[in-house]
Amino acid sequence: MRPPPADHSEFSPRQPVPRPVRLLLSLVILVYLTGVIIAPLSGPPPASELSQLMLQPFRPLLGALYLGHGYRFFAPNPGPGHSLRWTITMPDGSTKAGSTPDAKTDWPRLLYHRRFMVPEKLAALVPPVDAPPEIRARARGDWLPLVKGVAGNLLRTHGGDRITLELIEHYLPGPDEVAEGRSGPDMITPLGTFARGGSSGRFGGSLPQAEGATPRR
Amino acid sequence: MTMITPFDRSPTGQGSFRGWLADWAEAWNGFWFTAADPLPLAVIRIATGAILSWACVVWLLDADAFFGPRGWLAPGDVWRMNDQPWQWSWFFAADDPTAVRVLGGIMLVAAVLLTLGLATPLAAIVSLLGLVSAANRAPLNTFGLDDTLGMLLISLVVGPSGSRLSLDEKILGAGQGRGAASVRANVALRLLQVHLCVVYFFSGAGKLFGASWWEGTALWGAAANLQYQTLDLTGLARHPLVVNAITLATLFWEVAYAALIWPRLTRPVFLAMAVAVHLGIGLAMGMMEFGLAMIVANLAFLQARTPTRTDFA
Repeated sequence: MRPPPADHSEFSPRQPVPRPVRLLLSLVILVYLTGVIIAPLSGPPPASELSQLMLQPFRPLLGALYLGHGYRFFAPNPGPGHSLRWTITMPDGSTKAGSTPDAKTDWPRLLYHRRFMVPEKLAALVPPVDAPPEIRARARGDWLPLVKGVAGNLLRTHGGDRITLELIEHYLPGPDEVAEGRSGPDMITPLGTFARGGSSGRFGGSLPQAEGATPRR
Repeated sequence: MTMITPFDRSPTGQGSFRGWLADWAEAWNGFWFTAADPLPLAVIRIATGAILSWACVVWLLDADAFFGPRGWLAPGDVWRMNDQPWQWSWFFAADDPTAVRVLGGIMLVAAVLLTLGLATPLAAIVSLLGLVSAANRAPLNTFGLDDTLGMLLISLVVGPSGSRLSLDEKILGAGQGRGAASVRANVALRLLQVHLCVVYFFSGAGKLFGASWWEGTALWGAAANLQYQTLDLTGLARHPLVVNAITLATLFWEVAYAALIWPRLTRPVFLAMAVAVHLGIGLAMGMMEFGLAMIVANLAFLQARTPTRTDFA
């Protein structure tokens, strides 16, 4: 077996690089590329225990250079889109409703996409409301602190006192349904109601809807 | 009958394991330590700098939400989304809106200087530090664009990306071999090429888990997703075989990219597919910056040579 062709002909003749420099550079290149490969090999799941073990010494390098990516774009399947639906109670008692992202107001498109990533990433942590209660209870510790931050940001942005948040998983219609002009119901997962907690800027949260909700599809 | 093993034949004629190793070392040295024209790197620098500048402007449009202490993600909760303490960020030090804007402004200035090619080595390093800081501070808001920009910027830091098509070149002139083919330029381009192959390989391999990719319907899943949609492709509902063909072609292209981008025969086809796929994603799914960044990364595979006087003689 021979190495792949180096395609030298596209390049100028080889320049003399002293052997020690070549060896050192080769080592650096090998370490770097091993890190680049180890990152997607070790996640997202499924991933082997071996790759997880091999990842450990590379964590400082991958973290420092922002290289720890899985590169699973639209994999394993392109899934449904998500958004956050919110209702904010303003200081005067009036309410304001909206969603994140909002294609009408989140412009330019890159700003829309940055905001769109918030519900997309939360959706990976929040089990659907019809998931077994023990799974929902276990997951809550992961997503609740993040949702509190999201609630706080929306209250700060809109100047509200209280916010109710729902995660919407938008129904992804099949070709037949689109051809027939049909669609299906979205799946709604209540995330809770959160109130501004005084002048400290901290936010307290309660989950009345999340506790007693049933799936609305 | 004699079995021929890979060790039996060697271009060096040594016909041994040592000969085989020598062949590999020769190929390795040829691959990495050959001088390359820095022109492609300069083009990549300009395009990357422009995309990064735009990305910085957009970060700054809502800087408090992305990087501020009371933004989408509290500084104390960042560890829940990424690998702390390794995923550092200079925005962790910003505890008021002014500091957030100053640090965001530094990112933007560095990105503009990178585009222009002014103080390029420093601009490339600060741009990379800024991108890493932004992405590590706001993991709730990042996506493939940030991964790609990081990959591009590392190559721009490594290579002499400001030696051509830059204000540095205008100011400092082309003396002392500046702008000439160099091993540094080659290493930077090779790093980008190999990294890109890793990206496509894992992206393609991940899709092989998905039934919709095997069934040839995955394109529909992207086209019918209204949260992504910027171009209405739902008319494809009446053309399932077209959806099948595009889905399977995309899957084959991505899975095979790491192997078939290297031979000269297949390289133009794979580069053309890259442009089609990424422009398609950009136009139809509203991720033009991501699509353009991936196309820019593919420029590392384009043959380029700076014209010399003899070319015009």
